[in-house]
Amino acid sequence: MSARSLAENFFGRLQAGEVGDVLGLMTPDATVSLVPLNRHGPMATDGAAYVRELARSFPDLVVRVRRLFVSADNTAVAEITIEGTQADDFLAVVNQEKHVELDQAWLLKVTPDDRISAVTAYWDQNQLYRRLGVKRLDKITITAG
Amino acid sequence: MTTDVIRAGTEVTPHESGAPAAVLAFFDAYRVHDVERMVDLCTEGADFRYVPFEVRGRQRVLHGEGKVRTIGKVIWTALIDAFPDLTNAVTSLRADEQGNVVAEVSVGGIQARPFGIIASAGGHFELPHLFLFHVTGDGLIDDIVAYWDNVDWKRQLGCVEVD
Repeated sequence: MSARSLAENFFGRLQAGEVGDVLGLMTPDATVSLVPLNRHGPMATDGAAYVRELARSFPDLVVRVRRLFVSADNTAVAEITIEGTQADDFLAVVNQEKHVELDQAWLLKVTPDDRISAVTAYWDQNQLYRRLGVKRLDKITITAG
Repeated sequence: MTTDVIRAGTEVTPHESGAPAAVLAFFDAYRVHDVERMVDLCTEGADFRYVPFEVRGRQRVLHGEGKVRTIGKVIWTALIDAFPDLTNAVTSLRADEQGNVVAEVSVGGIQARPFGIIASAGGHFELPHLFLFHVTGDGLIDDIVAYWDNVDWKRQLGCVEVD
């Protein structure tokens, strides 16, 4: 499987919220850096927890890959849009059933034997809060319609 | 192109050619606040998109999206004005053979003037960015996209408002 196919597979499984299947694409010691959340650690714990929370909070999640290329060191570079309607608290933000569209950029480092060994994701958490109705960064759990 | 990945923190001074060289030249120019040089490294109609850049007006949201020679130049100039010691360090650089380049860059500076809704309290910030470029066969940048987290940025500068 090429790095490109592997990345498409990864985002497809992310959309489906299939944590086990996502982890099945990774090396056992794969790392994750969710930069806006300041979460840096093992994919098997930190990454899996994020995928689970995303799937629970946005059961109608759609992950759209807008741009994808593979660098010479076999890193898949993707711009994606995640889209869905909030159905449960997410990252401490209470559920107001807001519809969210959020652009993100992901780097997936792929090993020669076609496993993802490192994941790094960038997005603007301020945009996410705005779409979920958060007004103040020191009161994330307080939202306004 | 043979570029794999450069991870050298502040020591990035590689002898790169082609697309990576254009990108490194861009950040060199940005580091010395030479906005004209930044623009000259881009094609006439180069596209520009700073994804987190959203300004809420009364009627609509203004996005940081358009052309390098219009929107990009204005935003870079405003940033340098607000953060007179604005600097950057390229921490990783990757490229393919079609002119796509991705750079992880730490951008930082001390605030001297308000920027958007962020009032100036003289705070310092260091913020990870991800930049995506496309470079033409002539070595000119024809597309710039950037991602960063405004929550991290605002918190470092003492701003707690989402909008």
